[in-house]
Amino acid sequence: MTNFLQYCLAGLSIGSIYALIAIGYTMVYGILRLINFAHGDIFMMAAYFMIFAMVDYAIPWYVSIVLVILVTIVLGVIIEKLAYKPLRTAPRMSIMISAIGVSYLLQNLATYLFSALPKQYPSIPMLNKTLHFGEVSTSLVTVLTPIVCIICVVALLALVKYTKVGMAMRAVSKDFDTAQLMGIQINNIISLTFVIGCGLAAVGSMLYFTPRPSVFPLAGSLPGLKCFIAAVFGGIGSIPGAVVGGLVVGVCETFMKAVGLSEFSDVFTFVLLVIVLMFKPTGLFGEKISEKV
Amino acid sequence: MEKKTKRICSVCAAAALLVLLILSYTATGTTSMLRSVLQLGAIYALAACSMNLLNGFTGLFSLGQAGFMAVGAYTFAVLTIPVNKKANVYYLYGVADGLKNLALPSWLGLIIAGLMAAAFAALIGAAVLRLKSDYFAIATLGFAEIVRICVASSPLARVTNGSLGLKNIPGFTDLGFIPAYFVPFIVVTVCLVVMFLLIDCSFGRAFKAIREDEIAAEAMGINLAKHKTLSFVISSFFAGIAGALLAMYLGAVQSTTFPLMLTYNILLIVVIGGMGSMTGSIIAAFLVIAAKEWWLRVLDVETYIGSFHVPFLRTGFRMVVFSIVLMVVVLFWRQGIMGQKEFSWDGIYNRIKSLKTRKKGANIEKANAGGGVNE
Amino acid sequence: MSNQNVLRVCDATMQFGGVVAVDNLNLEVNKGEIIGLIGPNGAGKTTAFNVITGVYTPTNGAVEFNGERVVENHPQGKMKEMYRGQNDGKYKDVKVLTPDKITKLGVARTFQNIRLFKSLSVFDNVLIAKHTNMKAGIFADTFRLNRAEENRMKEETMELLRILDLAEHKDDVATSLPYGKQRHLEIARALATNPKLLLLDEPAAGMNPQESDDLMKFVARIRDDFDLSILMIEHHMQVVMGVCERIYVLDYGALIAEGTPFEIQSNPKVIEAYLGVDD
Repeated sequence: MTNFLQYCLAGLSIGSIYALIAIGYTMVYGILRLINFAHGDIFMMAAYFMIFAMVDYAIPWYVSIVLVILVTIVLGVIIEKLAYKPLRTAPRMSIMISAIGVSYLLQNLATYLFSALPKQYPSIPMLNKTLHFGEVSTSLVTVLTPIVCIICVVALLALVKYTKVGMAMRAVSKDFDTAQLMGIQINNIISLTFVIGCGLAAVGSMLYFTPRPSVFPLAGSLPGLKCFIAAVFGGIGSIPGAVVGGLVVGVCETFMKAVGLSEFSDVFTFVLLVIVLMFKPTGLFGEKISEKV
Repeated sequence: MEKKTKRICSVCAAAALLVLLILSYTATGTTSMLRSVLQLGAIYALAACSMNLLNGFTGLFSLGQAGFMAVGAYTFAVLTIPVNKKANVYYLYGVADGLKNLALPSWLGLIIAGLMAAAFAALIGAAVLRLKSDYFAIATLGFAEIVRICVASSPLARVTNGSLGLKNIPGFTDLGFIPAYFVPFIVVTVCLVVMFLLIDCSFGRAFKAIREDEIAAEAMGINLAKHKTLSFVISSFFAGIAGALLAMYLGAVQSTTFPLMLTYNILLIVVIGGMGSMTGSIIAAFLVIAAKEWWLRVLDVETYIGSFHVPFLRTGFRMVVFSIVLMVVVLFWRQGIMGQKEFSWDGIYNRIKSLKTRKKGANIEKANAGGGVNE
Repeated sequence: MSNQNVLRVCDATMQFGGVVAVDNLNLEVNKGEIIGLIGPNGAGKTTAFNVITGVYTPTNGAVEFNGERVVENHPQGKMKEMYRGQNDGKYKDVKVLTPDKITKLGVARTFQNIRLFKSLSVFDNVLIAKHTNMKAGIFADTFRLNRAEENRMKEETMELLRILDLAEHKDDVATSLPYGKQRHLEIARALATNPKLLLLDEPAAGMNPQESDDLMKFVARIRDDFDLSILMIEHHMQVVMGVCERIYVLDYGALIAEGTPFEIQSNPKVIEAYLGVDD
């Protein structure tokens, strides 16, 4: 029973992180119809930024957190402006290749700058404190993660639902061209999407790497893929969908590990993807899109 | 240009290539790098063409190439490792009973490797080919990762030797009077010829029709499911063979031999060569491999000119330069070397003629060709 | 049911969510006829084409081609409650052939918003349509074991291009053709599938009176030369009245009139539907 609770908590925690990253995928896809293959690598870069800030420059952790989030956002926006914006009218395959190119570049850049050897992630002492709830013991970060996730998601949903910018975002994701005709500054909205997505990726990166020992240049690629799957599972373009998808993937993965199938936990994620796509091609909460003939 | 002239040109060109190849073999010393680059280039050319058949000709954006290559490579390795070396390879987990006395000749191993990859494609094709473009990309990518995880997993350890991978894979051997060095070129050439024949026949045209407009293709009586599956299976067959050749070339394979990065590398070749051009892929494969494995190696070595330390040069810089090249190609030179065109003497002839008649106009033409070739 | 029927659409209803795009459509095309399908914008004409060619599955109803049911459906699942059309339980089976199968049976079409294989040559555009009736398999075809068939396909393609005045453009990229020629090419491509029934979706769109006049003669000519029946959607009344033997009029998805051009012209319902909409 204790174990069960422990696994639940762990699953919830990793699921929340996946949810945060999945939101980045789902928002970009919703607006640009682009799988941002580089998102997982932005997540990885955020981890390196943290190492830089806290280890190389010895900046206190509370300043580092803010700095890292800001720098990650800047990185994301630069990527959008340089790699995606020039291809706005290009066929979709080109943009997808561009995204893959960015991912390739970031991974190689990280290998070059930080070497392929794993680097230790700086620990924030407070977050690694062990907590005890009766029999269940866990670190603070595990408990904190779902809470941070909930706060972020609620704030984001409020932004999308109740603000003018949010309305513009919804409009753009519904119909790119018409939104433009209605006077929406499309480039600002797209930039904002990247700001939010990368900000959440940075937060997710901190929560993800704190309980883990090290960072390496390919560390973002598998979590990135899983989060994309989470986004697809929930129905790409839907923020609540991404959250549900992230949680499902996280919890399933943890329990797969719990029953001793850790080797296959990733396989399971991909199989889940194929099954979902076969029976519900647009995911749990996705809207059906049909092509006009 | 007349048919006869074209034929003469083709024979001359083929002969020239053959002579160059033989020269690369007979010349010794510093050229060993050249030889391995040429072999690896040929293998990548096959892999790139197989990807192009799917991505460039049928318009199905697949990212599963590394997975199918892994299937081919592992199938080949499992079937052909010599019996007396098996104990050495499987020293940790032991070898599965059925495989203990099994060692097929290389040529049979190659064919089975291709067939195995094709069988996998047929199996998953039914599920994933119904997906729309980006979902298809992700699903195939997922498949490649699953293959990678599975071959390294413990239940298959007695077959695939877990994360240790397989070694002592038979390399290229002399084929009668033909030296071993030429074997990969022969295999690749045969495969490429088949692919060229395919893209130029009615089925190849049907693939292109699907790329251009699925709805119109279906309205013209082309069975989408059937033709997409065919393209997927054939592409995977050749990817499997490319994987097996890679296993022969390397002599050892592990699950880490076939990372997502490999798919990206092949995609890079396809994009540089031009999506929808086999000749483009072939040219790009040799260029990219030569640049990556040979010419740009200097970028990875710290260099001093006199006492001046050349900045940036250290391990990994080569790949950064490479990625930047890819980005530049994607952003500014979208049609790649060949666009959607294949090499033809007429093309060369016309180009020379247009260069002669209006040297100035060439720039304008180039600028025009830059826009909208892809769509 | 007479043997003369090439196409019979029976009680076809197409409902998207709550919107009824085609409402209980009954339509017949007899052998050798040229039939017009007219109606104001958004009346459901193209949707009807998509139902006939298998692109959409009708919510209820059936389509018969040469007496063979190619499409049949009745409201199912969620649609059971949402369904707003007629339903007398006449259609029990569910059978939907994919568009390629229907094409293979002999129904070819053109598209309202031209859908050519854009970057391929004019010749290839037409040749591709010959693929569906090819006998050789992929192996025989790849290794050139069907030279004779391939040559015949190419000759037939060339012949078609000649008939449709496209021979001189055969090596041009499809999209480089002028608009009117592109429409011709679409028809050539459709003819290459050896159809018995040709569906033309606004073939005269964007044409001037002279061109429309030519088109009219052209449609009549291909009907005779290729032994076709033709169903066409058209807005140019001049064309429709000039060439069609019978006309169906759709409004809001439902059939409001049917008859000879003369009957239609004087039908008060049709005049009402078009009043102020068309010239």
